[in-house]
Amino acid sequence: MTYILKKKKINQVLKGWFKNYDVYAPQKVEDYSQFFRLTSADDLVLNEPHNTRFPPKALFLPQSESLLKYDRKINQLKEAIPTPKPRIIFGIRPCDAYAVTLLDTVFNTEEYSDPYWKTRRDATIIIGLGCSEPCQTCFCTTTGQGPFNPEGLDALMTELEDSYSIETFTEKGEKLFSDLLLASESQQRKAQEIQKKAVESMTPAFDTTNLKHNLDQIFDSDYWATISESCLGCGVCTFLCPTCFCFDIVDEVQRNERVRNWDTCMFRIYSQEASGHNPRPTRKERTRQRIMHKYSYWIDHIGEIGCTGCGRCVRFCPVGLDIRAMLRAANTFESETINA
Amino acid sequence: MPEHDHNPYNPIPMHIMRAYYESNDHSLKSFELSFDNHKDSEAFFKKFNPGQFCQLSIFGKGEAPFGVASAAWEGEFVRFTVQKLGTFTQQIHQLKAGDPIGMRGPLGNGFPIGDWKGNNLVIIGGGCAFSSLYALTKHIQEPNIRPNFAEIIVVYGTRNSGLCMYKNDIQSWYQRKDMQIHQAIDIPEEGWGHHVGYVPDVVKDVAPSPKNAVAVVCGPPIMTKFTLPVLVELGFSPETVFTSLEKRMKCGIGKCGRCNIGSKYICKDGPVFSLAELQSLPNDI
Repeated sequence: MTYILKKKKINQVLKGWFKNYDVYAPQKVEDYSQFFRLTSADDLVLNEPHNTRFPPKALFLPQSESLLKYDRKINQLKEAIPTPKPRIIFGIRPCDAYAVTLLDTVFNTEEYSDPYWKTRRDATIIIGLGCSEPCQTCFCTTTGQGPFNPEGLDALMTELEDSYSIETFTEKGEKLFSDLLLASESQQRKAQEIQKKAVESMTPAFDTTNLKHNLDQIFDSDYWATISESCLGCGVCTFLCPTCFCFDIVDEVQRNERVRNWDTCMFRIYSQEASGHNPRPTRKERTRQRIMHKYSYWIDHIGEIGCTGCGRCVRFCPVGLDIRAMLRAANTFESETINA
Repeated sequence: MPEHDHNPYNPIPMHIMRAYYESNDHSLKSFELSFDNHKDSEAFFKKFNPGQFCQLSIFGKGEAPFGVASAAWEGEFVRFTVQKLGTFTQQIHQLKAGDPIGMRGPLGNGFPIGDWKGNNLVIIGGGCAFSSLYALTKHIQEPNIRPNFAEIIVVYGTRNSGLCMYKNDIQSWYQRKDMQIHQAIDIPEEGWGHHVGYVPDVVKDVAPSPKNAVAVVCGPPIMTKFTLPVLVELGFSPETVFTSLEKRMKCGIGKCGRCNIGSKYICKDGPVFSLAELQSLPNDI
């Protein structure tokens, strides 16, 4: 169903949810916005021109979380699986919601279900806000979704003038909004026009037709040395990436906890072996791992590209490396060499 | 109810039953672990297959992966041989009989033993990586399992005789009529009555027939690298040669990301791969 939520009624709706849910929504931090639990409906910011800097994957896979606690004296462990209150993530962008569904295929597998991921996932309703004006750095239509992609969402909002039209996709989403007025035919048409216009404003960033094949072909080539030359290896592209999920497990001795922390394939120590051998000793191999994982290995695993085109790695790379340019170069690399 | 059944990150509680040095220089030490709870033991042996590994865990010190070096029929324990290399393995080496330790596993695929029925087995190992092959050899020596395989040839090389693991047991293999054992050391030593030379060369000398045979190779990367071509030269097809890989690992269950080669995770899709599978993977080893 499609409902209409007047902008001036949002606070009232949020306050109604506070009773039964923890509501997570973008709030202003310095120059950026970030998802936090709302304690006051007034803190909500939905009108930021950019997506949040910090990816909302952290609401399911925190940057640092305790896996278990232990007592070393009696050598016993204590479970640390979270028991979250029912949660609503409000105002997530479609790229980040889709990323959560990609991460489900890593954490919620039949053989080994990750209980930390699963309990948070099961407790969460996800309400998206479509992107009427995609940014210059966005390329979600290239990676196969789009600024109003419904995958991973329980409901999707489209901003109209003084209201949002809200399309519900699941029972959970329906339950939240069924008290609202239904959108009129003209309001629905208006939303569709906005959605269409947004999609049309985005031009393809690179050709994905033979991209995986082309990348596989140049695995051993100089291409990787060329594109990684100016990389600092800071890892910001992976930390801010909504689909990067790699983590380290360490014991925090003072807290008596075994903790998992986000990790990154861009660091040397990540793949350093005890023998001293490192399969990815330089930034060349590490950049290759990052790109190949997103644009080749994910496709081997689930048939989908592991990038949602959110553009964070483009926006925040300190030396201005642009994955879109890297992939365009990958598509033409072979032919350039042949011509040379 | 212990909840660790459901949480793959929780180590199961174990105790060290026996701890003993394998090598004269005390760099290699074996630990036999007993289960605190019989239920965990049942779950372990239901899943266990030689070639699999476990994460050993000490609270406050961390975890690291080690190949299992025992067969199920040996008893209700799990053996690991640990090389003292970094800070965690130094911690493990300090453990003695009666000390508690945690374990997650068995992890990984293990050797596809079921597919090898009726074949000759050529088992080739070098250094401490032989521990997984020791588990395999022990497994197939079990009287009810042994008839599933034809000839068995074991080649085991170490840098010197002092580094040879499982010495007494391997000594007894020379008396067995149902298998051949070829031991090698890198440089000559007085009183050494076996092969001298690197493992690839010893394999060349032993020249096992590829007919109806499967070869399993575990060793340091350099040994594996030079042994695989020898086997191919002897006529082994890439589908009949197997090896076990190692990578830096954390979770052991295909989630933390770091142990991949191409789209395969060593912890979950491996650690055992056929040469044919390896050849289809990108050069990221």
